[in-house]
Amino acid sequence: MLPKITVDDNKCNDPLSCRKCLLACPMHALGLGTKVGPKKFQEIPPEQFRVAGVRLERCTVCRDCVRVCPSGAIQVVYDGGAGK
Amino acid sequence: MCVWCEKYADGYQRWYFNPANYARKLYKVRKEEAEATGAEGSPMAAGGMALLTDEFLQAWDRKDYATVDKMKQDIEKLSWAAHFGQVVTLEDTLKVIDLLYPIAIMTCVCRRSMLGLPDEENFTCIGMGPGMYKWERWPNTYRGGVQFLTPEETKDIVTRLNKRGLVQTLFTFGTPYIGGICNCDYPDCAAIRTTLDFGVRTLWKGHHVAQVDRDLCNGCASCVHRCQFKALSFSPSQQKAYIDQFQCFGCGLCVTECPQDAITLVERASLPALADVW
Repeated sequence: MLPKITVDDNKCNDPLSCRKCLLACPMHALGLGTKVGPKKFQEIPPEQFRVAGVRLERCTVCRDCVRVCPSGAIQVVYDGGAGK
Repeated sequence: MCVWCEKYADGYQRWYFNPANYARKLYKVRKEEAEATGAEGSPMAAGGMALLTDEFLQAWDRKDYATVDKMKQDIEKLSWAAHFGQVVTLEDTLKVIDLLYPIAIMTCVCRRSMLGLPDEENFTCIGMGPGMYKWERWPNTYRGGVQFLTPEETKDIVTRLNKRGLVQTLFTFGTPYIGGICNCDYPDCAAIRTTLDFGVRTLWKGHHVAQVDRDLCNGCASCVHRCQFKALSFSPSQQKAYIDQFQCFGCGLCVTECPQDAITLVERASLPALADVW
């Protein structure tokens, strides 16, 4: 069973400059992407960046990302094993 | 033999020494192919690594190996046609730098996406060839801009990145067009991670394999932190460095770190059972 990592994009503003969760994750299971695809001649503005759990198979459910998030945007849910 | 050499070396010792593989004509072909697949010419979208989806992870997690194998083949097929890498030694990288122009340093898209690394700390990627003249079309791919370099400046930078512990890899952008020298480490390089964690071969091993001379190795272990491929460990019982040569990618980072010169690179082709381990 893979953990579920959800990030509330309305609470998470400018993860590109915050990036606390990305650095806190001991397994580098989180990733930074954008809400829009690449567009010719356009740089994507910082508010269009978002964090997501991209390598869920590496997540140990330590919840360090949840603790370190200044806006309480991250939730980690795990239904398997003993770590509920 | 390396299949890329078989197909694209055209008489040169290795496929990446063939200047034709850095030429504009191939770059043009790449654009048409990439646009046909909807990738819009974006290096981020062009690689098969983007296909390593939640669906793949879920199949992996429930040990549905039939689905995993099928998806793995699809990812590799796309990656090998559009965007894959091969590990190269520093020595070979320096030779490649003399083959082509222009050369520019740019930010690493992998470390931006895994660490959110600020642009000013993230200039570790070498973009090269005619594609670089058009970098302004994709300002988001080239966040932080690019700086064009002379071949000598490039060699200096790559040598310093090697010293810092980063692995040199060449990447295609529409195979066999080679458009970048990446300087990678685990776990933030998408290609190393995809290859090591899932056996989805978006990064090929290089043409060499490292070998420890156990008489020369004094057990100082200074090489151990250099390996980005989980191939090098330290044997407590032997008090020597141990290299799993089937796992070794032949980058040579451990070789340059050894104060005893106890590690050497041998040609992969010289070891019959490793000759086809890529």
